[in-house]
Amino acid sequence: MSTVAERPKPITSRFDPRFEVTLYRHVGVEGAHTLEHYRARGGYRAAEKALTAMTPAQVVEEVKASGLRGRGGAGFPAGVKMSFMPPADGRQRFIVCNADESEPGSFKDRYLMEDDPHQLIEGMLVAGWAIQATIGVLYVRGEYFLAHERLRAAIAEARSAGLLGRGVFASEEAEDAPGNAGFDFDIILHRGAGAYICGEETALMNSFEGMRANPRLKPPFPAQAGVYGYPTTINNVETLCSMVHIVDRGGAWFAAMGTDDSKGTKLYQLSGAVVRPGVYEMPMGATFRELIHDLGGGPSEPAKAFIPGGSSTPMLPWSEANLDLPMDFGTMARVGSMLGTGGVIVIPEAQCMVDAMANVVRFYAHESCGKCTPCREGIGTWLPKMYQKLLAGLGTREDLALMEEMVRNLGGTAFCPLADACAMPVAASFQHFRHEYEHWVDHGAPMHPTVSRWTA
Amino acid sequence: MKVVVDGVTLDLPPGTSAIDAVFAAGSDVPYFCSQPYMSPIGACRMCLAKVGAPRRARDGSWILDEATGEPQVFWFPTLMATCTTAVMEGMVIDTRSEPVKAAQSGMIEFTLINHPLDCPVCDKGGACELQDRAYEYGEGVSRFVFDKRHQEKHHALSALITLDRERCIHCKRCVRYFEEVPGDEVLDFIERGGHTYIGTLEDGLPSNFTGNITDICPVGALLDTTSRFRGRNWEYHHTETTSLDDASGSAIVVDGRTGRIERIKAGHHPQINKSWIDDGTRFGHEYAGAPDRLRRPLVRSNGRLVETDWADAMGYVAARLAELSGKEVGIALRADATLEEGVAARALADHLGSGQLDHAPRPAGGVIAAAGHARLEELAVAGAILVVGDVTEEVPIVDLRIKDALRGVTPPRLFEHGAPIADLRLKERMPRRSGLLTVAAPVRVDLMRHAGRAAVYPAGGELGLFRALNALADGAGADGGREVDPAVLGMPLEAGVATVDALRRAETAVVVLGGWVLASADATQAALHFCRLVGAKPMPIGPMANSYGLELTGVLPSHARYAYAGMLASAKALVLSQLDPAVDSVVAERLAALELLVVHSSFLTATARLAHVVLPATTGYEKDGTVVNLEGRMLPVRAAPVDAGEARDFGGLVKAYGEAVGQRLEGRSVKGARRWLKKSLGVDLDALPPLGAWAPSKRVQARVAISVHPAAARGGALRVPTMVRAEVLDRNPHLRAATGGPALRLHPDDASRLGLRAGDEVTVTVGGVPRRLVVRPSESVPPGLVTVPATPEEPVGLVPVDLARIAVERHALEVA
Amino acid sequence: MELPTLRPFFEDKPELLQEILDRYPPYGRRSALMPLLWEVQRAERHVSEARLREIADIVGVTATEAKGAMSFYGTFHQHPVGRFHLQVCRTLSCKLAGADELYRFLVEETGLVAGETDAEGLFSLQSVECLGSCGTAPVLQVNDAYHERVTRSRCRALLAEMREGREPPPTRERGGDNVSREKAARFAAAAPAVAPGAASAAVPIAVSAAAAGSDRDPEEGGVA
Repeated sequence: MSTVAERPKPITSRFDPRFEVTLYRHVGVEGAHTLEHYRARGGYRAAEKALTAMTPAQVVEEVKASGLRGRGGAGFPAGVKMSFMPPADGRQRFIVCNADESEPGSFKDRYLMEDDPHQLIEGMLVAGWAIQATIGVLYVRGEYFLAHERLRAAIAEARSAGLLGRGVFASEEAEDAPGNAGFDFDIILHRGAGAYICGEETALMNSFEGMRANPRLKPPFPAQAGVYGYPTTINNVETLCSMVHIVDRGGAWFAAMGTDDSKGTKLYQLSGAVVRPGVYEMPMGATFRELIHDLGGGPSEPAKAFIPGGSSTPMLPWSEANLDLPMDFGTMARVGSMLGTGGVIVIPEAQCMVDAMANVVRFYAHESCGKCTPCREGIGTWLPKMYQKLLAGLGTREDLALMEEMVRNLGGTAFCPLADACAMPVAASFQHFRHEYEHWVDHGAPMHPTVSRWTA
Repeated sequence: MKVVVDGVTLDLPPGTSAIDAVFAAGSDVPYFCSQPYMSPIGACRMCLAKVGAPRRARDGSWILDEATGEPQVFWFPTLMATCTTAVMEGMVIDTRSEPVKAAQSGMIEFTLINHPLDCPVCDKGGACELQDRAYEYGEGVSRFVFDKRHQEKHHALSALITLDRERCIHCKRCVRYFEEVPGDEVLDFIERGGHTYIGTLEDGLPSNFTGNITDICPVGALLDTTSRFRGRNWEYHHTETTSLDDASGSAIVVDGRTGRIERIKAGHHPQINKSWIDDGTRFGHEYAGAPDRLRRPLVRSNGRLVETDWADAMGYVAARLAELSGKEVGIALRADATLEEGVAARALADHLGSGQLDHAPRPAGGVIAAAGHARLEELAVAGAILVVGDVTEEVPIVDLRIKDALRGVTPPRLFEHGAPIADLRLKERMPRRSGLLTVAAPVRVDLMRHAGRAAVYPAGGELGLFRALNALADGAGADGGREVDPAVLGMPLEAGVATVDALRRAETAVVVLGGWVLASADATQAALHFCRLVGAKPMPIGPMANSYGLELTGVLPSHARYAYAGMLASAKALVLSQLDPAVDSVVAERLAALELLVVHSSFLTATARLAHVVLPATTGYEKDGTVVNLEGRMLPVRAAPVDAGEARDFGGLVKAYGEAVGQRLEGRSVKGARRWLKKSLGVDLDALPPLGAWAPSKRVQARVAISVHPAAARGGALRVPTMVRAEVLDRNPHLRAATGGPALRLHPDDASRLGLRAGDEVTVTVGGVPRRLVVRPSESVPPGLVTVPATPEEPVGLVPVDLARIAVERHALEVA
Repeated sequence: MELPTLRPFFEDKPELLQEILDRYPPYGRRSALMPLLWEVQRAERHVSEARLREIADIVGVTATEAKGAMSFYGTFHQHPVGRFHLQVCRTLSCKLAGADELYRFLVEETGLVAGETDAEGLFSLQSVECLGSCGTAPVLQVNDAYHERVTRSRCRALLAEMREGREPPPTRERGGDNVSREKAARFAAAAPAVAPGAASAAVPIAVSAAAAGSDRDPEEGGVA
């Protein structure tokens, strides 16, 4: 009883004096991407600690204790994922960084890689040590050219400094200290070429292996058969960067931030009709209000909805109650949406919702890999054409019913979650903004006609 | 494991897929992307069903349903693709409830969105999986009102296969087939999402096994060009029979209509060819319908061949034979004649008192029918294989069975519904264990791509090769290998040693002996000795469909000098069935002076033109009978209803002869022949089980023909096996277009020295036989060697001729 | 007439080729497919069939497989793109910042529609999906460079520069926690070694004049 009273209140606000920007501390600083800059500020201290003073199992335990959940959208507990790796048996093992950030509304990983590439390299080193993987694969989306170049330079610097390659942090004394012989670890930097589906972990592996990027069957899971068929763990950029600080300051420090089911500091993104769009690092459990109003300056015009976590997450109507919701995985699931990557998009009142959803549907149609029938035909062809028909003023009430049924047929029937990522948001737009669809049907015109949005 | 499907309880082995459980229970779910013998991928989403399973509590006991006391069924949160779901203990599968029905009709509707309404003009109509499933599981009306995706509709992937891209439903069976079965990755998806289409950058789909995709394509996207627009599926008469194109005994289905053969499809034999056939077998039927088929008997009258009837023709034959001593009459069948035809030939020879009876081609090695041969199923699970020859051309199905062994795919357990629809052991892009395969040949052959070790030995050097291998097996390699010359081996010594070791260590080891080995009795004996040394089973490849059977039933000369070559040289009269020795001008001269030449043939060949009597012969599609494949398996041949005029098989010829001389000779009818065969083989061929039956193994004393022992030379003209029989290639226009015609292959340096360019048409005369061929320079052929296609008259083997002495006459381009 | 033979792309670049192949384990040679395609794409602005076949041979796959992989992606082109390949992001956040208008403006200015290259090979225009810069919408990617917060006037300036044959350096914008001044000051105080504004090791980025200055300071608000 007394322990409960003594436990300090978790940090769930950016404005809590105990909170400091950690992941983004170097982002935006000129010259921050160099090894010199990074090391001068404690860089690679965590990796050294992990490799010389902790066993791999201890690192995994620390990550588990931190409560870190994957930051790429799925929110799977990172420590648990690492523990899925089979015991080392002599076969090659891989740690893969999924830097294929392509979810509309997400742009946090890009600045991390451009301005603080060493943090990611250190994160891969730590994670590689934890799962005893000697090869890291860093799959960067093809369009992120600057990030790729910065990473390439940083990897070269790290190699020259002995922070990558053979015997990282090999020590000369203490024969039975962990990490005496050092850890052989290096990174393969691989550039993607423009396909959102490569953000799906098994499709990423197929793409990396030089094949068409269709997703794979699971099971087997990557831990059993991943890259080239070998045991593999795949993590998002932010997840790996978080591990650096978890090792440096302890899992408990991380777990002191956030809510019961979502711990730590997280990079939230804000875009759409807001005054100050951008990436904001906040403890998990902070509210949408804090992000949108306090940090983001509020909507730049009257808003009617916001997407909580990237275009794959069902939108929430703009309301005081919804703004007060904490941004964590559990809450979002409870209200029928998802936290995803935390990419919040504010949709203004003056934007026709049908037009906005047509834009989103066209995205998924373009990105569908074509492997399975419902996504290739339903999302690739049918749904976009239904929106075109509506937006040409030719839609009927039956069409609306058909779209809703189509979306139901897509849910849970496709090979991978891309179909759901399109269908669920469409369903939410019908749930909350059916009147705008009906307006198109009844009047052949939008409730909110197109306004100019481009700045002179 | 206990599995309940729609209320039916089954006991199934672990690893069974849910879709096979569904079918084993007698239920049904639709599917397009699954295909027996190929990996399941869960792409089409048609086979979705409601699946649940009990769960265990922490203490290992089942969590019980409080109401019933039975293990509680926890339904999976979404419908599961049954093709990629493995059964679990206590799994419950429901294929009948509303959500499943809604998903099925929804998926049909999605599948039909971009599928063109081509049924009235589509060759697949009536045999189309999409039509059937749409009828069974769809709503009947599509609500898609927009313009469908437009793609190319008549894309010639090759001369043999037409692709209609609009009809493709992206099941990926064709792409997976090429990677998984022959290992020739010639098709792939291009672009992504709704724009995806099937395409290739390999001109003409270079693979011997392309036609199988027309069988497995569930819709009319991939079509057999030889039968395009020839008929509707429900009009075709289907005859299940055995292919006589090679010694594999592959099961085929002959589709015909109004007395014509229009199409060959693969039949299913799980132990021989599974559900695959090679392109030569599939597309090589057009010759049977060629306009110059012989339909009536011909008799020479006043120097010209005139049509007559069987009675008249055989009357003439009987009269002439009566004037001759029977001993001077030679009878020869082609080696793809049926057992029953062989019985008829024996009966005729016995009646005439002639010991000059033979079948051709018949390799000098003489071990086709012997005990201890490896079976195809053993080959498919062998732990080490040595191939000496070009099986991809000689008996293509052997190539596919070898590839099964490379993937480590053991034959699946068969359900009542056949081979598993979704065998979860099969995955896309499985690794190949090339280390278990060594391929040796006098030229580079395609199978070497998949082999861990490849040996190109000197042409004609099969004896040297096996002597070297025997030396290595005796330990010669261990002491520095000074007794073994790598040049004779065709590969480095280490590779030879590794080959020997692999064969020794394997539980099942097979040595495949192609025609080049069997052409030499010495080489064959050395090969068999090698097999004994390393504990491997031989698999000799007989030259034609019934080499095994005709040897087994003694269609053989009473003395070596009466063998085929001998009778051509010395008999006074000849009865030849489907053989054409007059292509050799020297032989032609002799034949022209015979007392009596009777030719039984489907076409008016050069030999037929010299004959006194020509009798129309049925092709392999038009007779009932039995053949014995290279494994020693007796297989049924069934006649398709083809209008071939008055053509008969050899039994019919003997029957007509018997009628002319007033004798009832054995084998004049298939039934009669089978009575004889039952006595001599102890097998009732009228009651062959569906998968055939093993021929009794006999020690056969082969009367060896004079075998040529060419000194192993790097130079000469090598006769090579070809998948498509050279003698029918001209009458199979699609295959001819696809293969570019029978080829003269030689090294590019030799080609330029001889002034030859790719595509030149030349006449090549080797050993007195002129052949019209197309020049194809190739790095696979060592310098100094040319290859020409083998024929039954000129079987595989080396003619050691100086390259410069091979007469090559280029044909001038005819300007119209 | 002898047609000139196209020399293989990697024939005179053996070290580059080997460096790329060496990145991957020997059993992963096929992975080199994408980086090899990128080398050709960047040098020749497209990957022709001849180059594709060359790459397929190097990597050990059939030309068909290589085409299947290459055609899956949006950034490899079968036909040459222009010297300045204009890629307009059209997804939701950029649309909400006027991307549709930006695209139409470029259509008018260049006379092209999506996927086209102009006759001189100067410009090509492509509408692409989310480029991952939603906070600085709308975004235009020219070849490899991002141009963020592309207003009409900025767009005009960029086009003018390109018409003079100059490739504009990336236009980097700031916002949110990607903000230089306050943090730079804080860190400059804390750290001994690095001088603010020290040249970066890799590609220099042009911080746009506006953001480096003045009235577009995101901390003070106002996305004008």
